[in-house]
Amino acid sequence: MEDLIDSSIRSAARATETGYSLEISEEIVETCAGVGIRLVASLPDDWIAQTIARFEQDKRFTHVPVNREESAVGLCSGAFLSGTGAVALMGASGLMTLVYAITKINYTYEIPIFILVTQRGSLDDGAKFHVSNGLYFDDVVRSINLPCTVIASRQEIPKIGEAYLHSRKISRPTIAVLPKKLLLGKI
Amino acid sequence: MNYQECLSWIASRWNDELVVTSAGTSSEIWFEETGDTERVFYLEASMSLSSCFAAGLAFGVPDQNVWAFSGDGAFVMNAGMLTVERQMNLPNLKHFMISNRVYGSTSNVPLPGRSDNNYEAIARGFGIERVYSFGSMNELQGRFEEAVMEPGYSFIHLEVEPLDYRGHSPPMDGPEVKFRFGRHVEKLTGKNIFTAPLTKKN
Repeated sequence: MEDLIDSSIRSAARATETGYSLEISEEIVETCAGVGIRLVASLPDDWIAQTIARFEQDKRFTHVPVNREESAVGLCSGAFLSGTGAVALMGASGLMTLVYAITKINYTYEIPIFILVTQRGSLDDGAKFHVSNGLYFDDVVRSINLPCTVIASRQEIPKIGEAYLHSRKISRPTIAVLPKKLLLGKI
Repeated sequence: MNYQECLSWIASRWNDELVVTSAGTSSEIWFEETGDTERVFYLEASMSLSSCFAAGLAFGVPDQNVWAFSGDGAFVMNAGMLTVERQMNLPNLKHFMISNRVYGSTSNVPLPGRSDNNYEAIARGFGIERVYSFGSMNELQGRFEEAVMEPGYSFIHLEVEPLDYRGHSPPMDGPEVKFRFGRHVEKLTGKNIFTAPLTKKN
């Protein structure tokens, strides 16, 4: 079977063909490296296939594809208690499954984690099956008081690092939201 | 096996490993047996995530051995956790999965597929090489060294009888568990976990 690196190269090539920006992914990865993130737990979304592949191929990180988003919360929370910087990378649908894990583990024990999540269901998302995210994502995030930073342009990518560090400061999870146009390199 | 006797014996073999217990009975009995408040993360609010949590911990402290406890209630909820553990294959992580075929923390309500679930076969099916299944104290004691004390990730299925147990949670709120355990890891490893170090660095 093809190894993970070969698979990720193939996946990144496919993402490039569909227009997702290699440069933006590289900037996101650099920003994460710059704040000390070393462990990346991910579940895929087409929009971040390129970014997942960049993490996989970068030897500064250990990338762990996980079976479900809650496992990423468990993994990143444990990593925090080992002094290891971590990020969970996922689609918006994945975040919608995390109310239990975040409120139980991270709020009960005040354990910070950082999540990068796609802004599925936005006006430019052509996928009908993501309409639910457009309708409810913001309300779900607000309902559990999850600090949320939308990365509105390429110039704002450094805010990803700030959001990560903020989670450490406030001992709570934070999320940074990646719009489609950003990942396409259009804003 | 008797649940309490099993955990009590494992606790008697405990040296300096970091321990992560899961929701309900394993946390309560481990605290009752050991009274430890430093080397154990009592992850009572976890529901199927204790071994993932332990894997994240073990990843970051490769020189420390980590024991994770989960139950079969958690296992049927998130059996796929083993694919992550297999992939990470952390030599310092041991996953004890305690099976009593009931949701022990909620009045022993029966588990789905209770009599048919073959946890050993599931673990092997995910490609885990070091899988141990113990249904008696003799079996556990006879192969504990090989299963637990030798390096290498292993998945250890402990088949116990449901327990009519009404224990108490360790008497600490979540943040206290975090700080006690985290400060212990800081002392062990010299790493900074919290943003404010407790001791001045030389």
